[in-house]
Amino acid sequence: MKWKISKHQPGRRRFMRLLGRAMVFAGAALFSVGLMGRRGLAAAIPALAGTNYDWTKHRWGFGVDATRCIGCLRCVEACKTENGVVRDAHHFRTWVERYVYLKGERKPQVDSQSDPGNIAASGSETEFRFDNRYQDAKIDKAFFVPKLCNQCEHPPCVQVCPVGATFRTPDGVVLIDHDYCIGCQYCVQACPYGVRLFNHAHGVTDKCTWCYHRITRGLQPACVEVCPTNARLFGDQNDPESVISKFIRENRTRVLKPEMGTSPNVFYIGLDKEVM
Amino acid sequence: MPKHIVRLIFLIGILGVAIIAARVIFVDKSFGIYGHYRGDAVAEIASDTPIYQGAASCQSCHEERHSMWLKGAHKVVTCETCHGASAKHPTTKPAPVDPRPHARIAAERLDHVKLLIPPDSVKLCTLCHEKMPGRPALQRQIEVSSHTGGQQCIVCHNPHSPKLAAAGVPKAAKPSDVSAGRKKSAACAGCHGAEGLSPNPAWPSLAGQQRGYLDSALQAYKAGKRRDPMMTNLAKDLSEADMTELAAFYAGLRCQSAGTSAAASVVSAGKAKAAACVACHGAEGVSSNPAWPSLAGLQETYLVNALKAYQTGARQDPMMAGLVKGLNDAEIGQLAAYYAGLKCK
Amino acid sequence: MEALVHAAPYTGYVYPNETIIPWGILIVIYPYITGLVAGSFTVATFYHVFGVPRFKPVARFALLTSLAFMLIVPLPLLLHLGHPERALNVILTPHLTSAFAAFGFFAAFYVILVTLEIWFAFREDIVAMAQNQKGLLRRFYRALTLGSDEISETTRAYDAKWLKALAIIGIAGAHGLHGYVGFVFGSLKSREWWGSDLMPAIFLVSAIISGIAILILLYVVTSRFRKTVIDRDCMKGLAYLLWGFLIFAVVLEFLEFANIVYKGREGIETVMALIAGPIWFGVWVLQLGGSVAAFFILTYVIWRGTQDKQLIIGVTVSAVLVLVAVFAMRWNVVIGGQELSKTMQGLLSYTPPIFDREGISAVVIVFTLPFFVLWGLTRLLPPWLSHGRQAQGQIPSITS
Repeated sequence: MKWKISKHQPGRRRFMRLLGRAMVFAGAALFSVGLMGRRGLAAAIPALAGTNYDWTKHRWGFGVDATRCIGCLRCVEACKTENGVVRDAHHFRTWVERYVYLKGERKPQVDSQSDPGNIAASGSETEFRFDNRYQDAKIDKAFFVPKLCNQCEHPPCVQVCPVGATFRTPDGVVLIDHDYCIGCQYCVQACPYGVRLFNHAHGVTDKCTWCYHRITRGLQPACVEVCPTNARLFGDQNDPESVISKFIRENRTRVLKPEMGTSPNVFYIGLDKEVM
Repeated sequence: MPKHIVRLIFLIGILGVAIIAARVIFVDKSFGIYGHYRGDAVAEIASDTPIYQGAASCQSCHEERHSMWLKGAHKVVTCETCHGASAKHPTTKPAPVDPRPHARIAAERLDHVKLLIPPDSVKLCTLCHEKMPGRPALQRQIEVSSHTGGQQCIVCHNPHSPKLAAAGVPKAAKPSDVSAGRKKSAACAGCHGAEGLSPNPAWPSLAGQQRGYLDSALQAYKAGKRRDPMMTNLAKDLSEADMTELAAFYAGLRCQSAGTSAAASVVSAGKAKAAACVACHGAEGVSSNPAWPSLAGLQETYLVNALKAYQTGARQDPMMAGLVKGLNDAEIGQLAAYYAGLKCK
Repeated sequence: MEALVHAAPYTGYVYPNETIIPWGILIVIYPYITGLVAGSFTVATFYHVFGVPRFKPVARFALLTSLAFMLIVPLPLLLHLGHPERALNVILTPHLTSAFAAFGFFAAFYVILVTLEIWFAFREDIVAMAQNQKGLLRRFYRALTLGSDEISETTRAYDAKWLKALAIIGIAGAHGLHGYVGFVFGSLKSREWWGSDLMPAIFLVSAIISGIAILILLYVVTSRFRKTVIDRDCMKGLAYLLWGFLIFAVVLEFLEFANIVYKGREGIETVMALIAGPIWFGVWVLQLGGSVAAFFILTYVIWRGTQDKQLIIGVTVSAVLVLVAVFAMRWNVVIGGQELSKTMQGLLSYTPPIFDREGISAVVIVFTLPFFVLWGLTRLLPPWLSHGRQAQGQIPSITS
């Protein structure tokens, strides 16, 4: 074979060849060190806004009692305001769905505050209200279901982020670094629950953080704060006496799309078979 | 090995070194300290200021409403659920200048914050209380068309304590109340006029005034919450029934506007100032809530005295106290002239 | 701000955020161009690694085609990004669990690899031109020689050896690159229409047929312009290649679809509504119709042993049909997958904007660019074998 021709080399050539190989290996080694170098540094706890918050001591959890939700959408309003979510009918960190089983029908009618009829009822895309379209209909059953980020134990969105702009904190919240996000929207695709949204004006992805700036100060997330019926509750799963621990202990809860293997941390009661 | 291949390998080596150098130079120093992300991002996200500040932040200035709310059926509904976020109230925070997206999004939040006295209580209240399939049975719900009779909810309900019994509004006036009231009004006629039309600019006409307000004013005089050398003495001996009847009598009388002799410019200045009053006292000075007084056509001097009394603390009301705080004498005169000149209904 | 957002109309129930389709037509063109890279590289590989001599006339041109398209591949992605200036973060802090992060590596690796391969394939020409050209061009070629004019039996042996080694790595590189694009979609469990184990294989095979097809088209067109005779043997070889991989591609696509229908998981009615609704034309007419028509034309050509002009026309027409069918397949996957709501209870319909950073106009520009790049490359490094050098064996040839 022709390409084995260089078997007998003068000494200098052999040296050069060795040098070349050494350089390739050294380069490869350095590169992998560069990749890994930042791992293994002491995982200090970040000083959060001058508080003594310790993120290793908490494991936040969220409960939704769908049997209490009245569909007033104050949570959606509060969330948009608290978090600067784009003010239209296509960007939500949290939303509410309405399921209505008309008499004799096996599949429910589903809508959310984004439905054109509901936008007409509220008067604009920046205000939120469910219209009363079913007031004269014959109904088997109907209920509201609040939705928000499930802050999954195994978040597919974090898995697919190419740069590390989204991540899960030790206290159990998936955050987005708006100042590092490249805006590829792969995470938007990867979320099975559709909770990620894209802020076109700023070119970055956005999502529910359970109001991380509030919960680290000891406040409730804005949606929980304004909920008039306690359909939403929030607390520390590490504390056995917290509302969320009791909620999970005292009820038979379920999570959304368990077959996705994401292990959500939003626990529901009062859902029905067709809730997706 | 031929020269060109050696040089090629050398070039590739340089490229590798350049990539490693780029990593060292360009990657954020906090990247990777907790995991595969910029460690500083956590503190940046957590440092956003809360926009919804909670009922406790309202309490310090609005103690009376706060305590009313705590006792009422709406205690599960926090202030900001209806009034909106309080971040810009009472002061506005300066906008941050950091041009990066996170800071800009955080700053944009304040654009949509408005603390409001809900202008349309039907629109607001029905968000929760409109009868609608899907709402749990325990939730109080009304048929909007048949329940309200076209009235605003706050005509009957005090939103801070919505159960009717707690609203300070007497149930209903019976015809017998009116006639009984007429008999008992003899003692009042000297100052307030036989038909409730006061001859003295310092004393208010009572004809056509809100029934709930008249009732609660008498109650306040009797309890000593409101003081007046004449009224305190007179009210002291009145029974609950007396007060209900008197209120019913005066509320049913035909009013007459006291009018004003102030210049048109003073009146229009007063009208501009009155923008802060319309939510409770009505756009034309006629209150929509029986618990709050109508101001249209009241005596100019009486109105001036009342506003000054709120300023000095001689008359007390949590809402009024806050509103009159910044008024000077000229502005009080303008407001009084404006309301005195309005037609009463 | 209004123009920033194009909300898609929908039927049934979709999650509120889904009404903004995240990936538009730019992300249709992205796997399409990547596919052309992989496919044209495959043809070069058949000559450089497998030593199929009939592909010799297009082997070097195929390498240039591959590079020209590869240089443009990042462009649709950059145009799509919300923060293109942060694109280097993918290289600086790649998140190793992300299929997108792999793109940085695959693309960089592949560009270097194919550049090197071209360098070795053209080294003798570069050396010759460094001596013959004048002025700026001379400097350019001199720089390309890395200061070594040495052409001897030894250097030829080295070049051939490196060329072959690179081509072998390139098989993995080019096909890994496109297999990865399939993985980008196939690995998402959130979307029923994408989350298939067959997706990487389907993308790979359809990439190969589209690459062969574009090469056929370019070969025919450039031969026209150069007024040279099309090598009949080479053309026939390309036809065989296209025919074989086309059968493979159609079968794979059918198997994938059969899997979805047969498993009939929750929401299968909505999947059926999708292919009967928003993407029916793309699926049934362009993708299936195009592939089947190309298959029959190629079968006829090969079966009848058609010669000369008829052969060229037949193969060219099927190449065009394949290019259309593969583009439709990309659309049906990328757009179709997003038109099927994650609720599995609703369908969206996407219409690409015309004048927009992510609109049709941008796509037209992006897709025209590789041809200009290719034209430039062929001017700098003429890939066609002339002056009888082919016969003299001056091109590093593969013998094994």
